[in-house]
Amino acid sequence: MYATCVTLKFTRRCGEAARIADRFNRTVRPSPALGGMITNGCMLKSFKVTEEKGNPLPPQREKKPKTSPCVLRCGTAYGNLLAMDDISAEWMTSPVRDCGSDNDVSNDDDDEDDEEEEPIRKRSKWPDLPIPAPWYGETSKETGFHRSSRLCLNQIRECLLEHRWQEAAEYLISYFQTLEEISTPRQLLATEIIFRLGSEILHQHPNSKLEDVNHFFDLMKNTGVRGYLKISLEHSFHLLLTGNFDDAVRQLTTAESWRYGKQSAVQADKMKLIHAYRGFLSYLSWISKKGSSSEDDDGDVSAIQEMHTYFRQACISLQEILKLPGVWDPFVVGYVNMLEFYNDHEGALNVLKEYAYDSRFPPNPNAHVYLYRFLKRQGSTEKKQIRVLKILGALVPSHELMLELFSLLLESGTEQSLKEALDVLFNLLDDCSWKHSVAAWTCFRNMIKLLRRKKLKHLLEEGWETRKDWWPAFHFRTYHARADFQLSRQLLLMKVVVASTLVGNKCMYCRRKNELENEREARRMIKTHKKRKR
Amino acid sequence: MDEELIGFFREPCSQCSVVNWGVTEEGGYYCKSCHNVIERTVEVTDPSCVTGSRVSAISHGAKKPAKQKHGKDWMVCEGFQFILKQQAEALLAMGVRPELKDDILCNFWRGYLHKSQQAYTTKPLYSVTSQQESDSCPESLAASELSCLSKAETESDMDGARSTISGWSSDGGRLSSVCTEALDSSLYCSARERRMHHLMTMPMTLAFLHLSLLWLQEAITLADLLRFTAEGHIPYINAYQNFPEDMKLFGRDALIFRVESLPSYKMVQEEAHNLAIFLDLPRFPPLTSACLLHPSLLCLRYLMELNLPDELHVWVCWVMQQAGVGKDTFLTYDPWAEKSGLLNYDILASALIVVTLKLLFKLDDQQEWCLSNSADDENKQNQDSSIFCFRKWYKTVQGALVVAKEAEEQAMARKSWKSQKPVYPSMRNKSVVIKRRRVVEQLQAQFQKLTGSDPQPRQDSPSSFRLRWGEEDGGGPSYQGRRLGSAVKKRKGSARPSNPTYWHTALSSCKPRHCTDHFLEMEDSLPRSYVSVLGMVSFLLGVQETHVHAEVCLLERLLFKRPCQPRTKTSHGSRRKK
Repeated sequence: MYATCVTLKFTRRCGEAARIADRFNRTVRPSPALGGMITNGCMLKSFKVTEEKGNPLPPQREKKPKTSPCVLRCGTAYGNLLAMDDISAEWMTSPVRDCGSDNDVSNDDDDEDDEEEEPIRKRSKWPDLPIPAPWYGETSKETGFHRSSRLCLNQIRECLLEHRWQEAAEYLISYFQTLEEISTPRQLLATEIIFRLGSEILHQHPNSKLEDVNHFFDLMKNTGVRGYLKISLEHSFHLLLTGNFDDAVRQLTTAESWRYGKQSAVQADKMKLIHAYRGFLSYLSWISKKGSSSEDDDGDVSAIQEMHTYFRQACISLQEILKLPGVWDPFVVGYVNMLEFYNDHEGALNVLKEYAYDSRFPPNPNAHVYLYRFLKRQGSTEKKQIRVLKILGALVPSHELMLELFSLLLESGTEQSLKEALDVLFNLLDDCSWKHSVAAWTCFRNMIKLLRRKKLKHLLEEGWETRKDWWPAFHFRTYHARADFQLSRQLLLMKVVVASTLVGNKCMYCRRKNELENEREARRMIKTHKKRKR
Repeated sequence: MDEELIGFFREPCSQCSVVNWGVTEEGGYYCKSCHNVIERTVEVTDPSCVTGSRVSAISHGAKKPAKQKHGKDWMVCEGFQFILKQQAEALLAMGVRPELKDDILCNFWRGYLHKSQQAYTTKPLYSVTSQQESDSCPESLAASELSCLSKAETESDMDGARSTISGWSSDGGRLSSVCTEALDSSLYCSARERRMHHLMTMPMTLAFLHLSLLWLQEAITLADLLRFTAEGHIPYINAYQNFPEDMKLFGRDALIFRVESLPSYKMVQEEAHNLAIFLDLPRFPPLTSACLLHPSLLCLRYLMELNLPDELHVWVCWVMQQAGVGKDTFLTYDPWAEKSGLLNYDILASALIVVTLKLLFKLDDQQEWCLSNSADDENKQNQDSSIFCFRKWYKTVQGALVVAKEAEEQAMARKSWKSQKPVYPSMRNKSVVIKRRRVVEQLQAQFQKLTGSDPQPRQDSPSSFRLRWGEEDGGGPSYQGRRLGSAVKKRKGSARPSNPTYWHTALSSCKPRHCTDHFLEMEDSLPRSYVSVLGMVSFLLGVQETHVHAEVCLLERLLFKRPCQPRTKTSHGSRRKK
């Protein structure tokens, strides 16, 4: 949710970003923008681990990033807090693992300790798998202090769910004492929880000011140096959200140059994300410069030069991050956009192809969407476009671009392609989000007409065979007819054609349609009758 | 030389908030953790701002550090003595007779020190062999012990008390480090040693208090004591915060004095019993019916708190007589009596009330509601509400309890456990611990400013009663004056309950160590109204339902003391009232 807000914020900055944001919204994933990217920061980490330990995970693990609890954990603070139901899930996956498994209070700030720790870590009984950390729930041996903090967290959660920010802040005052927790895993968890709760409350509390937020973030950064970069990143997100673009850039620049003994090396994966976001912000500056310079049209040399600097900055960082497997949607879009502007179409195509087809990357429908749109913009052959869309269809059969694939297939006109087009339609209508789509049903009606004309009705049978036991209940009940009629008459008429072809003329849907039509006719008659009377 | 300069300069680093300063060759300070070099300046600590603002430079001359502060050597038992003294003073402030502190507790404590060979002995448990005065040490300690508790009222000021408390005579020559833990704290760290020598723990301080209160027959029961402790009226959590300046806690001391939970009723009771045996205490003064701890008087108090009619008290006393629990031979605590533990007077009294309720209203989910209906009818006929109606009572008390439970939970959620003065586990961790404490304080200050809330929440004065009835801000109307009405029948000149039968669970007692209680496994099969009455009582006492249930079973065993056939655990025996 936060991610969307940030994107919207950009919208105000520059018209180009609006277009991007709009495009994001049209893609499948609910919020593929910034939030999604943090998620993948973590995924990126798991890959790193694989490389370092020389203990490669099986490939199917890499292909299922969504199921990894690691990914779950790293969702942005705001996003997760707003969906606080998941806080238990959050707890299950504590940050214990990415901080090593030492039980010493001290090594938070001590470089030497880290050196001592290193061999221990290798011997540690925690294997490097995304195993949930121990769940600190209610037990019979729970100490009073832990009971207090558990109850307090529950209270805060209730308050947040009901948007009672004032009360939540009051409870948080008591909750701060968990920072002084003696056991290290619990202490780290407390840091994380307090950081998330605090930033959310400060974000929402009516009395909070920007200084408060900055102060809070600074304190949290220094409390757990292990989370320094993550908190810096969140801080910059918050600044973006409140419209302080320059401060956000400054924040990221500071974070980029952060050095803290071995701690900065441990957080190398986060550092890569920081670089990437820094590049992305440069890209946004580039867009705004582009917008202003195109208005002037004079071609002010210095402005163009400045724009070029931003371009170079963004390019370097974005190129780096795109080499690593992950879901980098906004980065890719930005990078391709810049390349296209400077007429490097080949480069852009390579980037997109890499992003879509590299097997190290997790399967990502958006990658294919971007590639398709690029091809369409470039006016490439239909064959290529169809190929891309087919892969997309395999990933997401109910994607909205499937209608475009349908029309593309229809245009080629061979029997094979007609069959494929019919499959596309069937798959589309299997999904309940398309149930009431007039466009989809119109396509189906047209398809049937076309098949009749070409005498290829047997094609219909194949698709129907697997669906005939459930589609009538799914689409063609009397109740559906009534609902469709209320929605739009057009939909009803389209569906009737399909229903009568597939199920038969005497199906419930058709009968109900006839009744409804008769009723409508009767009402019209009465109306006209009355008018005439007057 | 660095140590001296650094010791003086205790500001947090502006970059990383750590206090870990080093001095460069040029004489400037630099932060050892983030290598941030600062100018030799004094920072104004402004909690609203992390970095603070530099105000003025200070001259080099002023930096000469004062003599290093260090604590005196001290023994762990001195720490406990200090805590006990504070706890006793808190009890005195509540109105307990002053003999508690000066006579009873002091004597118990002396006896304990002697028995555990910590003082008043020629062979002390821990002796400082490196010191010449090792043989005179226990004497000096003994002298100071003597003076501490008994003379404390004359030495009301803190300084006087301090001089006697840490009376362990020592010259400062041996002290080199800034922080020293108590001399004998290593003894306390091994569980074996602790058990062998019966060394002090924090829950044992409460056991001491409980024994002394029992000896004095004060009205504070163990449940009350624990509740006052939980509410903070008796110092327990972070009691070490108030130690005198020269008693510095460090390292292992934390393990001894830091508490993160309150002991349970059972635990303190067991500790107290073990302590009584260890101290070789004689039979306690007889507990007569005039004492406030006597069940008949305690019952009156609990009847009032449970908002039950006073008329029930007659019945409670009758049950008490029948079961034979009112006699002083039964009630008086004798550590050496056969098969004896400490009696839990408060639970016994509340169990008496539960049994009485079962006798009059049966509590089988049927009879009590029938009786409530007839009470309603009577009230309607008489056009008033002078007859006690179980249903109305149940609704009122249950409602108030739900509110009280919620309030308790919220209070628990807001409870502060951590000390203002943290104890460092080791010198190396000191900076981290200090930094954490400071961050917590800053965060708290920031959010207090944000919410505009009061940093120190108002504390209610201690009260024996948790629920109030019949007052404006109380839990509901008072039923104290109500009559029992048709629940009691007059027959042949004597009153009888109109409820003809009484149910109870299996009377055969289990083997003591093999199975403790069966409440959890049979809770579902027990009548709901009985379970909720148990819930009310146990909430008031702050114990678990199973304890009250066990006490009820015990009472029933005493009531129907005839050899009975073994029954299955879950079946409800039903028998006519004698």
